Amino acid sequence: MSALGLGMAAALLAALVAAPKFGLVARWKRHRAYRAKSRSEDALKHILAWQHRSKLATLESLAGTTGLRPAAVLRVVAGLQTAGWVESGAGGIALTASGERRALQVVRAHRLWERHLSDDANMPMGKLHQAAERAEHSLSREEVARLDAHLGHPQHDPHGDPIPRPDGTISALEAVSLNEWPVGRPALIAHLEDEPQAVFRRILLANLRPMQVVNVAESEPNHLVIETDGGRHRIERSVAANIHVREVRPQDALPSERTRLADLAQGASGEVAGLSPDCQGLSRRRLLDLGLTPGTQVEVALDNTFGDPRAFRVRGTTVALRRQQAEQVLIRPIRSPDGAEAAP
Amino acid sequence: MNTEACDGCPAHAQLAEMGVDIANCDHVVALAGNPNTGKSSVFNALTGLRQHVGNWTGKTVTRAEGAFGYGGKRYKLVDLPGTYSLLSASQDEEISRNFLLFGQPDCTVVVVDATALERNLNLVLQVLEITDRAVVCVNLMDEAKRKGIDVDVRSLSRDLGVPAVPTVARTKEGLAELVASVAGVASGETKTSPSRVAPPAEVREAIDGLVPLIRGMAPGLPSARWVALRLLDGDHKVREALLSGELAGLADRQRQPAPVDASKIKAIAGAQ
Amino acid sequence: MTSASVTPQAVLDRSDELRRGLDGSFRDYMVASLYERAGELAGRSVREHGSGKWDFDQRIDRILTSRWLGLPVMLLLLGAVFWVTILGANIPSQMLANAFFAVEAAAASWFESVGAPWWLTGLVWHGIFRGLAWVVSVMLPPMAIFFPVFTILEDLGYLPRVAFNLDWLFRKAGAHGKQALTMAMGFGCNAAGVTSTRIIDSPRERLLAILTNNFVPCNGRFPTLIMLAVIFVAAAFPPAVAALAAAASVVAVVLLGVCFTLGVSWALSRSLLSGEASAFTLEMPPYRRPSVLRILYTSLIDRTIFVLGRAMLTAAPAGALIWILANTQAGGVTLAERSIALLEPLGTAIGLDGVILLAYVIAIPANEIVVPTMLMCYLGGAMMMDITTYEQIREVLVGQHGWTLLTAVNLMLFSLLHNPCATTILTIWKETRSARWTALGALMPLGLAFLVCLATAQAVRLLPL
Repeated sequence: MSALGLGMAAALLAALVAAPKFGLVARWKRHRAYRAKSRSEDALKHILAWQHRSKLATLESLAGTTGLRPAAVLRVVAGLQTAGWVESGAGGIALTASGERRALQVVRAHRLWERHLSDDANMPMGKLHQAAERAEHSLSREEVARLDAHLGHPQHDPHGDPIPRPDGTISALEAVSLNEWPVGRPALIAHLEDEPQAVFRRILLANLRPMQVVNVAESEPNHLVIETDGGRHRIERSVAANIHVREVRPQDALPSERTRLADLAQGASGEVAGLSPDCQGLSRRRLLDLGLTPGTQVEVALDNTFGDPRAFRVRGTTVALRRQQAEQVLIRPIRSPDGAEAAP
Repeated sequence: MNTEACDGCPAHAQLAEMGVDIANCDHVVALAGNPNTGKSSVFNALTGLRQHVGNWTGKTVTRAEGAFGYGGKRYKLVDLPGTYSLLSASQDEEISRNFLLFGQPDCTVVVVDATALERNLNLVLQVLEITDRAVVCVNLMDEAKRKGIDVDVRSLSRDLGVPAVPTVARTKEGLAELVASVAGVASGETKTSPSRVAPPAEVREAIDGLVPLIRGMAPGLPSARWVALRLLDGDHKVREALLSGELAGLADRQRQPAPVDASKIKAIAGAQ
Repeated sequence: MTSASVTPQAVLDRSDELRRGLDGSFRDYMVASLYERAGELAGRSVREHGSGKWDFDQRIDRILTSRWLGLPVMLLLLGAVFWVTILGANIPSQMLANAFFAVEAAAASWFESVGAPWWLTGLVWHGIFRGLAWVVSVMLPPMAIFFPVFTILEDLGYLPRVAFNLDWLFRKAGAHGKQALTMAMGFGCNAAGVTSTRIIDSPRERLLAILTNNFVPCNGRFPTLIMLAVIFVAAAFPPAVAALAAAASVVAVVLLGVCFTLGVSWALSRSLLSGEASAFTLEMPPYRRPSVLRILYTSLIDRTIFVLGRAMLTAAPAGALIWILANTQAGGVTLAERSIALLEPLGTAIGLDGVILLAYVIAIPANEIVVPTMLMCYLGGAMMMDITTYEQIREVLVGQHGWTLLTAVNLMLFSLLHNPCATTILTIWKETRSARWTALGALMPLGLAFLVCLATAQAVRLLPL
C-alpha cells in the first residue's frame, strides 16, 4: 500500500518536473530563453539610442541601463557579435546594418504595443512604457504585422515618436524642444518624452497630449507659461525640454470655435466637428459607429444623479456616453440652452 | 464527416460547420438588425417560436434558429445578434459578420426601425456591402405612424436596390409580403442591385489594386471588394481567414455546387 | 481546381502597402460615408410631421433618470416588485403546501395498507415527494409573480435607464455600467446573468461582471430571503405594513448585494484585474408598450417552468438523500445527526447552525432547495401537515431550534453571498474557459460569506445587546 503511494508520489513529482509544457524544467528553459532574448534586445535598443545621439555605447553604459553585472554584459555583447549585429571598436560598440534593422524591429514592436494599449485598452499614458517594455520581447513578427494592420498602420506612438516601418527604416521626428519655440506662435505638440518618469509625470499633470495646440505665453529664465484649451500651465524649463513641438500645418487645423460634447449644457445642441485626435482605435471606431460623424446634430437629452454619464440625442436615437467619451467629441454649438427649451 | 449541402445551396456545408442544422431545408435565411427593432418579434412571428428578448443592446447572446415554410419550400431562419454596425470588434458584431461572410445565407433580412431609419440604414448599407441577397424589413410602422413619421418604403427600396417591406411584426402585418420577398431573393428570381457607397478616388484605386490579387488567390470569391476594404482597414479576422485559407475555401465551394441528393444530408450540429 | 497563382501573404503585403498610401483618416471616412449615404436615403424616404412621441419619451426619462428622483424611483420600483411578490405569494404557497402534504399523508398510508416495506414508503413519500412538494410550494408562487412583473419592467425599456443611473458607481469601481444589466438578468438566474455578460466588450470588465454576478440573489434564493423577511421582519410590524416591511428588508438585502458587487469589483480592479475603465456607450431604447400576453407566456413557460423543473430535478434526489441520512443509523446515531454535529461548531461560529450548513452542502446543485432541505432536517419525522404557514415555521425555528434575530440576519447574508450553484459555476467555466477564474468565482463568494457572517456573529456576541 505504502509502496504504491510512494510510487504515485514519485510519478507525480517526476511529471511536475519534466512535463513537456508545464513541467518545471520546461518552464525554466523558457524563462532562460526569454531572459536571454530580452537582454540582448534591450542592449540593441540601448546602442541604437546612443547612436541617435551620435555617441557610441560602451560596456559601462550598457551595464548602467540594463543593471547587469559586467560579466553578464560581456556575455550579452559577445552574443550580439556572434549574431553579426554589433561591432566593437576602440570608441565603443556600434550596430551593424543588420543590427540596426533588428533594433528597429524591437522599437517597432514596443511603439505599436504602446499604441495598442492606448487605443484599445484605454491605458493611461503614464503606464504605457512599462507595459510595452515587457511585451516587446515576446511578440512574433506576424503578431506585430497583424497589430500594425489592426491599428491602421499608425505612424506615431501615443507619445508622438515615429514607429519604424517593417523594413527597418524610420522617419525622423521633425520637432524642436518647447524651450526653443518663440512666444506667441501656436505650436503643435509632436512628441512627449516618456523617460525619465518623474519629468513625464509633470507633463501629464499639465494634461498635455500629442497633437494638441499650445501657445507659449511667457518665457522666463527658469520656466515657461503655456496656454492650451485646458487652461494655463507653468512648466519648468527642464520639463519643457522633454516636450517637442512643430509648426501647426493646415491639415492639422482643428475647427475653431469649438467646444466639447461633455461641456454642452443640458438641453443644448451642437454639430459634431470631429473627434479629438487623441481618441484612436476602438473607442474612435465606437463613437463613429454611433453616428457621431462630422456634421451630425447632437442634443444633450438626459442627465442623472451623478452627472455622469449623460445621454445625447443622435440621429433619432438616445445614446449614453461617459464624460471621458463625450470629451473626445468636438462640437460647434448651435443654440443656447434657453433656445432649446422653447423649441416644440 | 459528411457535410454535403442541400439542393441548390452550395455554401451550406459551411453553415453546417457553423452549427446550423441544415437538414430538411431548402434555403437558409439570416435575420440581422439593430437591437430593439422588433427583430425578435419578426423571428417569433415567422417561426412560431416564442423567444423572449429584452429591450437592450446585445441581449441575444445565443443564436436562435427556427424554420418556416413558403410555396412548398422549407426555410431555415437564423437570428443573428442585434448590432448597430459590423465594423467594430465586439463579439456580437463579429458573429453576425462572420455568419454573413462565411455562412453565405441565401437571403439576409435586415430588420430596421421605421422610427429611426437613418441610424438603422447604416447597418443595412454595411450588410449590402457583403451580400447582394438581402431584403429590408421596415418594422414598427405603427409606432412611426404614432410619432408622425411617414416612411416611403417603395422609394427606399428603389434607392437601396433590394426589396423593402413595411411590417408591424407584433400584429403580423406585412409578414406575408416579407416572406414572399425573401422567397424571391433566395431563389434568385428577384434580381437585386444593391446601392453601394462610392469611395473617393484614392480609396477606389487601392481597392482596384487589391481586388485582382484577391481574385487571383481565390477565383470566384463573392464580395471580393468587401474583403479588399476590410483588409485595407486592417481587420485581423479577415486577415486570419485569408492566411488560413478559409477565404479561398469559400471561393471553391462557390464554384463547385454540391451533389443534389438531399436524402444524404447529415448536418454536423453544435460545432460553433 | 483552384488556380491559386497568388499567395495569401502576397495579398496581405500588397494590402499593407496600399494602405500606407492612403490618408490616415481612411477609417473615419469609411464610417462617415456610410452615415452620409444613410442620411441621404432617409432624407428621401422619411417625412416627419411633429415629434410628439419623442417628447413623451423624454418627459418620462426626465423623471426616471433625473438628478433627484432617478435613484428613489428605482428603489421604489424594485420595492414594489418585491412587495407584490410577497403579498401575492403567501396564500398560494400555503394552499399548495396543504394540498401536497395531504397527498403525502394519504399516499403514505395507502402504501402501508398494501404492505409496502417501511423504507420504500419513507424514501418515496417522506423523502422524494416531500422534497418536491417543498420546492414547488416555496418557489412556484413567488416565481410566477416575480418573473412576469420583472419582465414587464424589462420590456418597457426601463433596465437601460438603471444602467444609465448607476454607471457612475460602476465606473468608480473600475467596472462597466452594462454590468447593471447583467445583474438584472441575475435576478432571474445567475447562470443567465453570467451568459449575458457577453454584452460587455472589454474582457477585464466582463470578468468582473462574471465573478460578481453571484451577489445578486437569484430566484432560487429569493424564497429564502422572502421567508426570512416575513418570519422575522414582518412579524415585528403591525399586519397592515408587514408586507411593506418585508419588501423593504428584501430591497435592503439586494442593495447590500449591489454594495458587495461594487466593493468586490473595486478590489479586483485594483488587484487581480487591474486596469482602466473602458469606453462606455449605451443605447437608450424608446419606451415600448409591453405585450402582456407574450410576457405571461414567456415568463411563465420559459422561465418559471424551466427554473422550477431544474429545482425539482435536484430536489428529488436531495429529498431521498435527506431521508436516507435521517433514517440510517451508525452506532445508534443517524447519519443526519452525525453530519449536523460535525458542522455544528463551524455553523455556530458564524452565527448559523449545523443544519443550515448541511442544507447548503446538499443544495450545491441548486440553491432553490436550501429552505426545503433545512425544514426537512429540522422537522425530522414530524408531520408536515402541521407546518404550512409562516407562523408555524417561525414556531419551529425560533421555539424548537433556538433561532435568534442573528441567525436570521446571518442566514440572509450567507444566502446573499455564498458560492454560486453548480449550474452557475459550470456557466462561468464555459464563459471563461479558465479553471482559475472559475475557482475564484466559486470560492471568493464562499470565503466572503464565511468572513462576513463570522464578523457579524462575533460583533453581536461581543456587544452587549
